[in-house]
Amino acid sequence: MIEVGRVCLKIAGRDAGKRCVVVDLPEKNYAVIEGQTRRRKCNIIHLEPLKEKIKISKGASHEEVAKELKKIGIEVEEKKKKSGE
Amino acid sequence: MPRPRYRSRGYRRVFVRTPGSQNVLHYKRRKPSKAECSSCGSLLKGVPRELPYKMRTMGKSRKRPERPYGGVLCSRCTRKKIVENIRK
Repeated sequence: MIEVGRVCLKIAGRDAGKRCVVVDLPEKNYAVIEGQTRRRKCNIIHLEPLKEKIKISKGASHEEVAKELKKIGIEVEEKKKKSGE
Repeated sequence: MPRPRYRSRGYRRVFVRTPGSQNVLHYKRRKPSKAECSSCGSLLKGVPRELPYKMRTMGKSRKRPERPYGGVLCSRCTRKKIVENIRK
């Protein structure tokens, strides 16, 4: 169920209740997620897979993921640019 | 015999040794009890137990975990609730 492109809901942590997409599976039991959450590695125990699946390449960037998620109706906030750069 | 306001069990008695080598009694207020999960009753983590005068000086993020239902439900019950909502 947990594969690259699967839309999930994060059920634990400070970003619990947010929707995200699995972008990479670096090792057993861990997934790299992106979407309404920050780009981060998390344990797959803390993910609840949903019915939807989107087409992205492994290691996709935030912009690609946001574009695909918008097609299925999940709004992703624009990443704020760091000030002072 | 302590004066009436100090006979309450909300105060505790503390023996203090003064610089003049005398043992005197001080009365201190007791702290409130630990916070419990509102659904399962287990003790909550990340919620301090302090008297109101101290809690008011703390910022909001020091008094609860940074998580939905933080300070209200334990982590287990939060997960159950999120999964229940999505499976409906």
